[in-house]
Amino acid sequence: MQVIVYAVFFATFGSLIVMVKDRRKLVAVTLTAVMVTTLVGGPQAAQAQSGILSGIQAVLKVINGIIQSGLTSINTVRAALSNLEQVVIWPLQLINQARAQVTQMIGQYRSLMSNIFHVNLKSATLPAPQAFEALVRDHQVNDFSGLTATFGNTYGLIPVATAANPTDRALSDMDDALALDNLKMLKASDQATDIELQSADSIENAASQAAPGSVPFLTATAIVSGIHSQALTQKMLAAELRQEAARLAHQNTLRKDNATNTTQLRGVLVNLLQHQ
Amino acid sequence: MTQITDLFRTVNNWIRGHRLRAAILALVLVFTAPWPARAQFVDPCCAMLAAGLASIQSALTSVVGGGLNQILGVDKSMQQFQQTVVWPQALINQARSLVGLLQGNFNQIQSLMRLRVNSATLPASQQLEQVLLSRSPNQIAQTSSAYVALYGPVPAPTEASTQVLNMVDMTDAAAQAAMKRAIEIDALADLELQAANQLNQSIQNAAPGSAPIIEAQADTWLIRANAYTQAATADLMRLRSVDLANASADIKMGATNTTSLRQALANLLQHQ
Repeated sequence: MQVIVYAVFFATFGSLIVMVKDRRKLVAVTLTAVMVTTLVGGPQAAQAQSGILSGIQAVLKVINGIIQSGLTSINTVRAALSNLEQVVIWPLQLINQARAQVTQMIGQYRSLMSNIFHVNLKSATLPAPQAFEALVRDHQVNDFSGLTATFGNTYGLIPVATAANPTDRALSDMDDALALDNLKMLKASDQATDIELQSADSIENAASQAAPGSVPFLTATAIVSGIHSQALTQKMLAAELRQEAARLAHQNTLRKDNATNTTQLRGVLVNLLQHQ
Repeated sequence: MTQITDLFRTVNNWIRGHRLRAAILALVLVFTAPWPARAQFVDPCCAMLAAGLASIQSALTSVVGGGLNQILGVDKSMQQFQQTVVWPQALINQARSLVGLLQGNFNQIQSLMRLRVNSATLPASQQLEQVLLSRSPNQIAQTSSAYVALYGPVPAPTEASTQVLNMVDMTDAAAQAAMKRAIEIDALADLELQAANQLNQSIQNAAPGSAPIIEAQADTWLIRANAYTQAATADLMRLRSVDLANASADIKMGATNTTSLRQALANLLQHQ
């Protein structure tokens, strides 16, 4: 841009120098050129220096103002956040206190409850019931045949076909079957209960050393263990439902038999009276 | 080429003829020509610029650098705290491995619940027992026929009073419903065990931040399981209610029958 202005200016001035005829006009043209040069070219340098200075001051003002206060604010917030985490959300002292409490409660309750739970409940006095009771309460699932045998020794076997009517035999067989089914199922559920208690102990041990970040794993698996426990309870309830239903059905069958027998008796009596 | 030579000759002649004007033109040319930028080392403007830049550098170092260093210090402290106290990798791995170990316990429980416990010996009772222990909802439809085969049907209307027939029918209904519910509950419990195993597998592969999501789902499964347990308990209570009602009905019918018998005996004695 500056070069173009210069070219225009010099071409104009050159033309005027060439064209003027007398010396007066030459002096006037020369003076005009000097004045134009002075007016246009002179103050530019001073203006440039002032711009740089004010620019530097503006940058410094931004650094010492907005940036400094911004960084200070960020630092304040980060420090507050750090303080919040360490003092309010995850205070190390309370974390250690919680761990210590878990350990303390393990010591206080685990053995005590285990001892209570493992008190010997066996009460039979005669050989057959003793053998049966021992198998009923042994928490083992590999001796079902022994359980069936000792059950038969204690409660007797199903009468042979010639010794009882078919209804009584069927009822007796079904009652025995459901009783035995449940006793077998209870042996399995006793063992499952032992496993559940082991799981609970393992989770509690882990909780005594856990960090806030590892606890969600323990909580989640404890809940899963709770689902298993609930399913086990349902299996036991289902068995109890079967047994109670069978008991009720048995009584109802006797009621049906009574009704049939009463009707037959009434018929016999009516016939008897008619013959007299 | 000739034209250029002529032009130079003309200009040369003009300069010789107008020396003053040529001198003025040369001077103006010299003073007004746009010169290149002056060297920084000797220019006071550049010295000021250098001083200004030094100030900016100093401000950046102290204000910005210092501020960032403070923030970095706080962040490092937070990072260390979170890595050692809140989310220690070793304890997270330890918890994950415990979850894996517990899966073994869960598998054992599941196997125990699948043990075969059938014990009936006669055909009718074997048939009903097989249905009851099937854990299959598809077998529920077979329950009533197997039940009737073992426990007998409701007597014909001519064989008992209406009250007895109602009692018998209601008792059979309650017993059969309870047996059907038992099959349902067994099947549901199997599905719960299956879902619980899936959840436990997910926990082993979870991150501390995603484990609570699985935990929430496990919680809902627990609620669902509780609901099914309550349904089973309700059916058990219904059975016992029917049993109690039967006992009461027996007393009522006994009283009615006694009164009728007394009346019949009185009539008999009057006729004699």
